Amino acid sequence: MSFSTRLIRWWPCLALAVVPAFAATSDVEQLTKDPKNWAMQSGNLANHRYSELKQITSKNARNLQVAWTFSTGVLRGHEGGPLVVGDTMYIHSPFPNKVFALSLEDQSIRWKYEPKQDATVIPVMCCDTVNRGVAYANGKIFLQQADTTLVALDAKTGAELWKNKVGDPKLGETTTNTPHVFKDKVLTGISGGEFGVRGRVTAHDMNTGKILWKAYSTGPDNELMVDPAKTMTWTDGKMAPIGPDSSLKTWKGDQWKLGGGTTWGWYSYDPATNLVYYGTGNPSTWNPRQRPGDNKWSMTIFARDLDTGMAKWVYQMTPHDEWDYDGVNEMILADIKVKGQPRKALVHFDRNGFGYTLDRVSGELLVAEKFDPKVNWATHVDMKTGRPQVVAKYSTDKNGPDVNSKGICPSALGTKDQQPASFNRKTGLFYVPTNHVCMDYEPFQIEYTAGQPYVGSTLSMYAAPNSHGGLGNFIAWDAGTGKIVWSKPEKFSVWSGALSTAGDVVFYGTLEGYLKAVDLNGKELWKFKTPSGIIGNVHTWEYKGKQYIGVLSGIGGWAGIGLAAGLTKGTEGLGAVGGYKDLAKYTELGGVLTVFALPDR
Amino acid sequence: MNRLTNGAIAGAACRTLALLCGFACAPAFAADTAPYQVAEGNKVDAQTLSGWKTWRAMACERCHGAAQEGMVGPSLVNSLKVLSKDEFKATVLKGRIDKGMPNFDSSKMVSENIDNLYAYLKGRSDGKIEPGRLQEIGK
Repeated sequence: MSFSTRLIRWWPCLALAVVPAFAATSDVEQLTKDPKNWAMQSGNLANHRYSELKQITSKNARNLQVAWTFSTGVLRGHEGGPLVVGDTMYIHSPFPNKVFALSLEDQSIRWKYEPKQDATVIPVMCCDTVNRGVAYANGKIFLQQADTTLVALDAKTGAELWKNKVGDPKLGETTTNTPHVFKDKVLTGISGGEFGVRGRVTAHDMNTGKILWKAYSTGPDNELMVDPAKTMTWTDGKMAPIGPDSSLKTWKGDQWKLGGGTTWGWYSYDPATNLVYYGTGNPSTWNPRQRPGDNKWSMTIFARDLDTGMAKWVYQMTPHDEWDYDGVNEMILADIKVKGQPRKALVHFDRNGFGYTLDRVSGELLVAEKFDPKVNWATHVDMKTGRPQVVAKYSTDKNGPDVNSKGICPSALGTKDQQPASFNRKTGLFYVPTNHVCMDYEPFQIEYTAGQPYVGSTLSMYAAPNSHGGLGNFIAWDAGTGKIVWSKPEKFSVWSGALSTAGDVVFYGTLEGYLKAVDLNGKELWKFKTPSGIIGNVHTWEYKGKQYIGVLSGIGGWAGIGLAAGLTKGTEGLGAVGGYKDLAKYTELGGVLTVFALPDR
Repeated sequence: MNRLTNGAIAGAACRTLALLCGFACAPAFAADTAPYQVAEGNKVDAQTLSGWKTWRAMACERCHGAAQEGMVGPSLVNSLKVLSKDEFKATVLKGRIDKGMPNFDSSKMVSENIDNLYAYLKGRSDGKIEPGRLQEIGK
């Protein structure tokens, strides 16, 4: 520790000497181009979760064996995954947000960091204390703690370099997202959509932590960082300026101040356009009657200039949300053929059950189709207006407060939650972990108290009726046509981030705790039961000529907790609770990284 | 596991008692101890209904489960058999921060309805009030 303290003291001098050479950019983009590393949470800037490594193939995956394991010593939900840079792995844990640097040579712990955080942050993260992993660039590790502190650590020693607190847990503001390093900036978001938080993204100087820009999801134009004449959105079949006060006009009174639109997802960045892409979450409260209007720009894809923060285009997927269909899921940047034409596309699997393909340069809407045939809250997305066509009987706003709207698909968990999909650059297809869950939703009037839950709805969730009875599917998706290529049923929601590789293998984890390998047709090649349920993301790297596959297990998160509430009467709906409660038959808490490789010949 | 078994036995005993007593001794029993009135399992007095609405508004089910049987937080069906009313009030208002239970004393609704919340959860713990939606007796 004293060694670290000494390092902190003379680090600024060292940083000063090094900074000018790197001021314009960071090394992380270059590091992600070497498939031996796994230098970003999603593998690269474009959120592909794809690896060029091909030692492990669809032919030999059945021989995979455990190479080594590592316990984080922390219970509850382990989302995200470790990074690998060179000969070092960086592993994080949920609250208290420990970070370990492991030597890949002998798995010894090079350093360990554990921040001191006020325990009052735990209940406002109700009900799970997940963290989606650290980021790396220029010899620094970036950690976004639960209590909203963004920290930079020396990747060699674990010494703190700088800290910046981006929110206030006393107001229900917490953080679960990974920091995103794009060029010379670190971007981070905020969680707390169930506490009346006002969502925003902040961009920080990588070397000092200083805030360079801060862009809100709701409110006046200057705080949104939009240009009424230049920020565009899909309007009547073409791109048009959003106009003045685009957010304020879509809220009643000051509700936008509690407006939600949180930003805890997986962002991406395209160096060619210098645009950063991310989504915003649900508008607050969950009782839609209390917030008439489209509630812009909640549930929206933002494309912002990385340097200025100004929005180039926006697209709102679920205007006036009535179901908690957060729009935060990963933004995947892929150059694919869309309806026969090559496009610079952005592909996004939304909680609302539609898979969207947009032109990521212009923001034009190209494809919006259901990626689970059970999705019923909207018949389709009108391609001219870009608006979903809501089915009246599933409108919790039309049905009103204290009325239970039944049989809505998907549930508030979404057809997919944060668990990121993989884009396979070889096949051009997307491999997507999904939920197959429907719900009953009963909104009620709620008053705002700072720092207290601001939900205003009771939910009951259950496996999609008249289907295979399971709570999930793992699917292959063609984003150019908007069609499901194949769908593999799962007993529980697939809450683990997928990985696909040049070895023609696709990996994902299950809530029971299996890590599975399937081929490009979805045929199961291999599975292994890890110590706990998997909500972490699968990743791969190479060390000394050997390809490894790793995944964090540690059940928890929303699905793991089994939020299944609001029984209508007596035992009705208990089957829903039972759906996830069944998990207890398969797994228990506990954070462990399990690493796999092929046996030596 | 032990606790579960005991709970089941206690539940069975209660039911037996209710059968033996029938309707005649039920009101006396309720008047002595129960802070709630209940009919048909899901109809309650106005105060207990406010207690349920407080439970719902504070999203307590996110930790304690829709049927109060526990998830990340403990089972309140069990806890209310052990906690005194004063202990219950202190836990809700001051929280048990280290264990993840927030303090709700900043909420006007909770402060005003703490007795009603106790009545509702006691009724759930006693097995007299059913889980889920409630309505007022006679409405």
